[in-house]
Amino acid sequence: MNTLRTQPIWLTAVFSFLILLLVWQLLVTLGGYQRFILPGPIDVWQQLQIVLGDGRLLKHTLITLSAIIPGLLLGCLVAAPLGYLLAKSPLAERLISPYLIASQAIPVIAIAPLLTIWISSVYWSRVAIATLVVFFPILVNMIAGMRSVPPELYELMHILKADRGQIFRKLEFPAALPVLIAGLKIGATLAVIGTLVGEFVRPQSQGLGYLLNDARQTYKTDLVFVVLLTLAAVSLSLYGLVALLEKRVLRWKLQK
Amino acid sequence: MKRLLFFLWVLPVFLLACNAQEEPQETVQINLPMGYIADPQYAPFYVAVEKGYFAEEGIDLAFDYSFETDGMALVGANERPFAIVSGEQVVLARAQELPVVYVLEWFQKFPIAVISKSSAGIESPGDLVGRNVGLPGFFGASYIGYLGLLQANGLQPEEVNASDIGFTQIESLLTDNVEAVVGYANNEPVQLAGMGEDVQTLYVADYIDMVANGLITNETVIAENPELVERFVRATLRGLADTLADPAAAFEISKEYVEGLDDTRMPVLQASLPMWESETLGLTTADSWQQTHDVLLAAGLLDAPLENLDAAFTNEFVEKTQP
Repeated sequence: MNTLRTQPIWLTAVFSFLILLLVWQLLVTLGGYQRFILPGPIDVWQQLQIVLGDGRLLKHTLITLSAIIPGLLLGCLVAAPLGYLLAKSPLAERLISPYLIASQAIPVIAIAPLLTIWISSVYWSRVAIATLVVFFPILVNMIAGMRSVPPELYELMHILKADRGQIFRKLEFPAALPVLIAGLKIGATLAVIGTLVGEFVRPQSQGLGYLLNDARQTYKTDLVFVVLLTLAAVSLSLYGLVALLEKRVLRWKLQK
Repeated sequence: MKRLLFFLWVLPVFLLACNAQEEPQETVQINLPMGYIADPQYAPFYVAVEKGYFAEEGIDLAFDYSFETDGMALVGANERPFAIVSGEQVVLARAQELPVVYVLEWFQKFPIAVISKSSAGIESPGDLVGRNVGLPGFFGASYIGYLGLLQANGLQPEEVNASDIGFTQIESLLTDNVEAVVGYANNEPVQLAGMGEDVQTLYVADYIDMVANGLITNETVIAENPELVERFVRATLRGLADTLADPAAAFEISKEYVEGLDDTRMPVLQASLPMWESETLGLTTADSWQQTHDVLLAAGLLDAPLENLDAAFTNEFVEKTQP
């Protein structure tokens, strides 16, 4: 165990993945499950090769990503300024917050069919659902970030005769950034879920949601697993990208 | 002596009667996945429950209004003994090694149709070429029925501008978003007619004989408990026969099972009746299975021809229930 602790992180990850595969195969073999109930890793690997070979997996992954990324960015663009406004203006908070909180009580799966009627474009309806899902965690984190600024630092900025723009650029934004990025990490994974919901509601033969639905309709459980693993990979990649961004823009904080 | 002979004659009869009383048929609780929401088209099952046909067979039946694919998977995994599914789903499921077997063909005609406004001039499948046709999705019975219609008439899918419109067939047709929609023959045409719309309906069943909705079980249940299958089939067929004989009474019974059901939906049941009728209710044919299989294969929904298609269905239990 001591040897394992001294190995690089990637090697530990590979080791744990191999253990996972072994446990999975043992479960299938000892449980005597048929392929349509629980396919083994070999079945899933073979199916992965098929959908990679015929280009379907890449095509549908790119279609899904093309809705996830704009959904995530739009969610940030709408939520961050609104979060700033709510943090700074008690009146705006009193006026808008009850509706925002109430809106979170509505499951996205319930509102998604309505969005697909209101927005006739299939693509933009998916982006809208992803935006909706991403919006709230970013908003909440923006508010929390803005409120985490110590009052004495505001006093210091006032003594230094800083104007509103300087206070935002030099104090508030950097102070809120760590919490905002934490919200972005959550948003990145939620954007995948939001897009998938949109693809379930209007499959249009496009996207991983369609491929997942198609696999279920044709009882190809191994293909369901391939799509689920791809979705997990997409989520992890987006999370990793945000983590890289965090390392880069918060270098000062990490060094400290 | 006479008394002794009488006693010896009576005794076995008495003992048999006592034995029969001591061992009543054990009631089995069955949850039946229906594949759709509570609907008057399920009247045969409601009638069979209400008139005690299932109870007479020792079956306590409850309805599970879940997705068709879930019902299929549950029966395939032997988690449920029966489900209501469409025939083409059985072929797809068997291709993935689900050991399901179709034992009763409830709908004798494939219930999918292409519906258009009469003004669109779509009077035959050939008129669909170059038209905008809306489907609920590129999956399920609607899609496969639509493909069957095209194939039976020598049309290629590329010749028609098909699009996914979700379950908005009525709205899409009324707003001229598409020129024709694919839907259920006992639903969308009935609703549109009720709205006073003059529609043209192309019934898939008029062009190709594909296997429609029916009852499935699995190979384990057939091997271990064939009597249960026979009892279930018998009760279902009695409910079906009664519904065909007296649809109005069946509709009244359905009101107990379908929340908010009013007389405006009687046409749904009436439109279903011709699709259930048959000389011998419940029988399925090898030819219709072959046609269904060939449509799926040509559409690329089957990776390879299904080995042993005959194992996907049996008439054994329907035949056993015949007088």
